[in-house]
Amino acid sequence: MPSLIRTLRSVRRVGLREWWRQMQYIGDAKSGTFVGKDQFGNRYFENVNQYEEVPGRHRWVDYAQHNYNATQVPAEWHSWIQHIRKEPPTEDAIMKSSSPPWQAPWVENLTGTRGAYKPYNTVAPKINAWEPKITPRS
Amino acid sequence: MSFAVRVTATGLCRPVALRPQVGLGAFRNFHSSKYNLLAEPQTGALSSTSTAEPITSLAQRGSNQFGLEQPQNKAEYVLSTLDKITNWARQGSMWPMTFGLACCAVEMMHMAAARYDQDRLGVVFRASPRQSDIMIVAGTLTNKMAPALRKVYDQMPEPRWVISMGSCANGGGYYHYSYSVVRGCDRIVPVDIYVPGCPPTAEALLYGMLQLQRKMRRSRKGVLWYRK
Repeated sequence: MPSLIRTLRSVRRVGLREWWRQMQYIGDAKSGTFVGKDQFGNRYFENVNQYEEVPGRHRWVDYAQHNYNATQVPAEWHSWIQHIRKEPPTEDAIMKSSSPPWQAPWVENLTGTRGAYKPYNTVAPKINAWEPKITPRS
Repeated sequence: MSFAVRVTATGLCRPVALRPQVGLGAFRNFHSSKYNLLAEPQTGALSSTSTAEPITSLAQRGSNQFGLEQPQNKAEYVLSTLDKITNWARQGSMWPMTFGLACCAVEMMHMAAARYDQDRLGVVFRASPRQSDIMIVAGTLTNKMAPALRKVYDQMPEPRWVISMGSCANGGGYYHYSYSVVRGCDRIVPVDIYVPGCPPTAEALLYGMLQLQRKMRRSRKGVLWYRK
């Protein structure tokens, strides 16, 4: 939990610059071991000391992008950060040995951009433009 | 492959949609953008690992929104900064009007409870439509309820957003063929975010709220007014 001692300890460990970045993006002063970095530059950390981090907040990600969202975490790291797998993908034996050729590159959620998913529609349009028919006056 | 190329390509292949096709091209008209991406020659990036040019900004290249976000003179610079401040204020205190109609409402309550804790995002349920800016339509919208929904929506002050939660609110869902159910609440009110699921998890609804924050962040009302 946030406390003055914990904050000071984290600042001493990570340095002022990193602390400022954490306060901008995470909103909390955290310190732990650096676990790895994914292909997008997101950095992953862990601190299993229960007196320093509340269990449940002991794995976290520092996003590379300014406009961050949770889909920027690729699937391999998602399984680590959500405790689906114990080891990070850099150490996990199964993940290291298998890279299926059909695996597509990870793409984050493109909602709101031109790359947004648009399903194919077979239904007649709900909204139709009104085309007035004018009967000629005699 | 650039996105502009893809748009024109899909536009071109639409007239031949009825013609029987073979191979990968046969899928092209049928499904999501994924087959389009696969079918097109790879002239641009499908994904990007760069922080300076993420895939979202690649996809936005050349769009109206991209033009809006680039200030062209000092007045626009000031206005877009004011817009950003407004967006920040709006996304920090989203007060949803709860329109709980069915089982989705239970998941909506879960979002308010301790585990997903909407309060950390500044999302507080407000029972009065006059003091809320988001409406979460959670559940089956029946024909009898539809006028009430519209009335509540009309009572909300601008700016207002609507989140359609669950299959029933999205498009009728399980009750699509019922005689007494509105086939999607977008027939009654304009919807910003559709959250799929039956019912969606509280996590999914919270993700929907985050997507709505993204949408709020894109707003550039001041710049739009100035350019007019």
